[in-house]
Amino acid sequence: MASSAEVGTALGAEPLGTAPAPADLGLAARSPGSTPAATRAAARRAPWLLALVSIGVASVFAAPTGYLVWRSTDLESDLWSTVTSSTTLEPLARSLILAVLVSVTAAAIGTGLAWLLTRTDVPGRRVWRILAPLPLVIPSFVGAAAFLAALAPGGLVEELLAPLGVVRMPRLSGLPGAWLVLSLFTYPYVYLPVAARLGALPPSLEESARLLGRRPPAVFRTVVLPQAASAVWAGALLVFLYAISDFGAVELMRYGTLTREIFSTRLDPATSVPLSLVLAVVALVVVAAERAAGRRRARTEAVRQKRPLKVPLGRWRWPATGAVVAVLGLALLAPVAVLAYWAGRGLANPGSGTVELRTDLGALGAPAFNTISVSLVAAVVAVVVVMPVAYLTTRHRSRVSGVSNAFVVAGFALPGLVVALALVFWTLSSGQLARLYQTVPLLIFAYVVHFGAQAMRADQVAVGAVPRRLDDAARMLGAGRVRRFVTVELPLMLPGLAAGAGLVLLSAMKELPATLLLAPPDFQTLATRLWSANESNHFAQMGLTGLVLVALSGLLTWLLVVRRADRLD
Amino acid sequence: MRLVPIWFSRRAGRRRATRPAALLALVLLAVPLAGAACSSGGDRPKLVVYSGRTEELIQPLLDRFRDETGIAVEVKYGDSADLALLIDQEGDRSPADVFISQSPGATGFLAGADRLRPLPEEVTSQVAPAYRAADGTWVGLSGRVRTLVYNKNLVDPATLPRSVLDLTDPAYKGKVAVAPQNGSFQDFVSAMRVQLGDERTADWLRGMAANQSPVFANNTAIVAAVGRGEVPMGLVNHYYNVRAQAEDPNVASVNYFFPDGDIGSLLLVTAASVLRTSAESDDAERLVRFLLSEDSQRYFAEKTQEYPLAGGVAPPASLPPLASLDVDTVDFGQLGAEFRSTIQMIKDSGIER
Repeated sequence: MASSAEVGTALGAEPLGTAPAPADLGLAARSPGSTPAATRAAARRAPWLLALVSIGVASVFAAPTGYLVWRSTDLESDLWSTVTSSTTLEPLARSLILAVLVSVTAAAIGTGLAWLLTRTDVPGRRVWRILAPLPLVIPSFVGAAAFLAALAPGGLVEELLAPLGVVRMPRLSGLPGAWLVLSLFTYPYVYLPVAARLGALPPSLEESARLLGRRPPAVFRTVVLPQAASAVWAGALLVFLYAISDFGAVELMRYGTLTREIFSTRLDPATSVPLSLVLAVVALVVVAAERAAGRRRARTEAVRQKRPLKVPLGRWRWPATGAVVAVLGLALLAPVAVLAYWAGRGLANPGSGTVELRTDLGALGAPAFNTISVSLVAAVVAVVVVMPVAYLTTRHRSRVSGVSNAFVVAGFALPGLVVALALVFWTLSSGQLARLYQTVPLLIFAYVVHFGAQAMRADQVAVGAVPRRLDDAARMLGAGRVRRFVTVELPLMLPGLAAGAGLVLLSAMKELPATLLLAPPDFQTLATRLWSANESNHFAQMGLTGLVLVALSGLLTWLLVVRRADRLD
Repeated sequence: MRLVPIWFSRRAGRRRATRPAALLALVLLAVPLAGAACSSGGDRPKLVVYSGRTEELIQPLLDRFRDETGIAVEVKYGDSADLALLIDQEGDRSPADVFISQSPGATGFLAGADRLRPLPEEVTSQVAPAYRAADGTWVGLSGRVRTLVYNKNLVDPATLPRSVLDLTDPAYKGKVAVAPQNGSFQDFVSAMRVQLGDERTADWLRGMAANQSPVFANNTAIVAAVGRGEVPMGLVNHYYNVRAQAEDPNVASVNYFFPDGDIGSLLLVTAASVLRTSAESDDAERLVRFLLSEDSQRYFAEKTQEYPLAGGVAPPASLPPLASLDVDTVDFGQLGAEFRSTIQMIKDSGIER
């Protein structure tokens, strides 16, 4: 983020950069996409090389869907009767209801939090900023188990409140349970891109609005939100796709979604494969619909000329702090407290067979290293690999870009198990690639395919935020395509790209099903350790491993995503 | 005019940019190295085991095997059903030699897909016929018994039924937690079908549904809920409460075993099998033999608190004797094959709600 600010100032000072005024006029019109210059640019035909590379990348991302199609024909399953049977439609309806509720909630939480932490003087924001993305790293089966342990009848909260004479807690399950848990653990999909976007917006409009007497909530609604819309949508779609693919939370909350149906019938591929295909098709449709709707959305480009405006919250300061504390308390502190309770109970019970807990901590070294290295590489590779597609889909509207977008993004809706089996199939059935089977590179590849959508959405927001006029100016000065990209566009995109890398990083750190199936034998990550502890009902170990996972992810997001932004504050 | 990347144009910018870059470079180097270290097995004999049992439950035995025989063992841990799907997808190219399953269902799936190589009679015959496949495609290693876990503060043990079939009585309405989507419950229902027939099994399931039995995700969740008093009782495998009591000696959950060979005290075995595609089938067979040896079986009895199935080893004192579990009439080999219709039957009963 530091660099983008520098770029802004530097460009503003040089003849190369256009004066700030035209940019702000564009913003004021709220749809620079419809200015004559922009229309010409959008109509510009995509460079054939870019289109070709994008098709190549997208076809790799289509691998899981392609596998499902092949398997369905191979099994000669009656697709139509599967799709229309009530045992498919009811779970599908539940999936969609859950996904819509969770997306709306997560979008609200993520956007509100991003605004408070990047653009206001809410106290303690530096600390909150490190903590805010972290709920994403808590695997949903661990998070849901922690919530159940805390909130269920007879659970920890009831025990704590017992002296106050509180009645029994209601049982947490079904739609409300899944909704709560998934919203709290997925809002970072919205928070990270929106925070990156808001940090790069020019303050001029907000300043004008405030000078004209608008109060902070009105400024937020009429000025900030429209400018952040593309980032909010980017995140909300990810939340939607994650919610329909999740198994851990819906299983523990016993909400019968399509994904749970797929899991419970997985030893009967004639049933589970068509169901997975239905999920893939639904995801493709949703992604395409979102893109079609996005056509009418205002797109705002901006270069930050100076530090973003800090809105003084005034008497809203403490209520706002309360809101931040409430969200982070529920989404992060509560599960971490339960993990700590489990770990502490194990340590305090040396006779319990958990005596090895201290040595366990040492044994977590290798899994921790594996987790960090594989996820870091996957994050960087994902952000780089989807860049051509993001560029194509943001700058050039065409059938190719629409289809590429759909396949890269929709892959995220498939459960990790399906992605893993698809890659097993493709790897082993292609001669040379078979040597990569069950190696670390294939695992990284799986993460990239599975989580590429997250990098893609962040890349798209980043590309969209680069003003075309800068590119045009550089072109007039005779800079080549590559040079323009590296010297003008890339520095401006960095905050958005870092947010995308952060999302992939946190997702890969907790990824379980594909890791279990595709990692080399004896290659353990913190997520597989968590699974193992959960399987053998070893809560102390689960608590300890979970704490290490959260701590490490906090360190990494601070190092790679948050720290740069903080220097500006 | 020259265009210079802005972040290189200032000193501070350069310093900031290089540190994460160096970190990344380091990691990028480290990963292939780690990968190489993992894949380097050299020319030593090597076995690849896919294990649905977790590391905690089986790794010490595999270490012992390696020390005794010098055969290196690489293990892939995962959910039994997922690993079975993986093996099926890998087909002829599966690197796995041995599959150890936590539940009969996953092994049955592979047996049905003809992925398993029959073991010699002298290996399998160490185990009673009820706990191995008639065609030798798999052999039981250890057993977990189905049990009714109850909260001692909420339930008087004297009121517990003699048979799992009695749980459909209105007296137990809303009181008995079940996990119908869980593999062990499904295996239990399959066994029930084999022993009592489809009609009585469907009746029982409908009865449990009519009794509004609270539904949970899995054994772990039920034991936790019974422990904290959310529900008074639940149908699970015995192992989970043993673990829960180790974590927290004050927990109120207690295992109850249905007496007199009731189907409610069914023994669910963990199974070992050798893959048809294994290139090391001799070593693979040796590992199965090792797991059936007296020492290994004692490990199951003492460390994992399960029923040993071979070597004449006695079960842990906390469990009823194996002979009292009358399971001879159940052919576990049928469980896998019946998997699909069992799931359908559970669904049709409405117990899942």
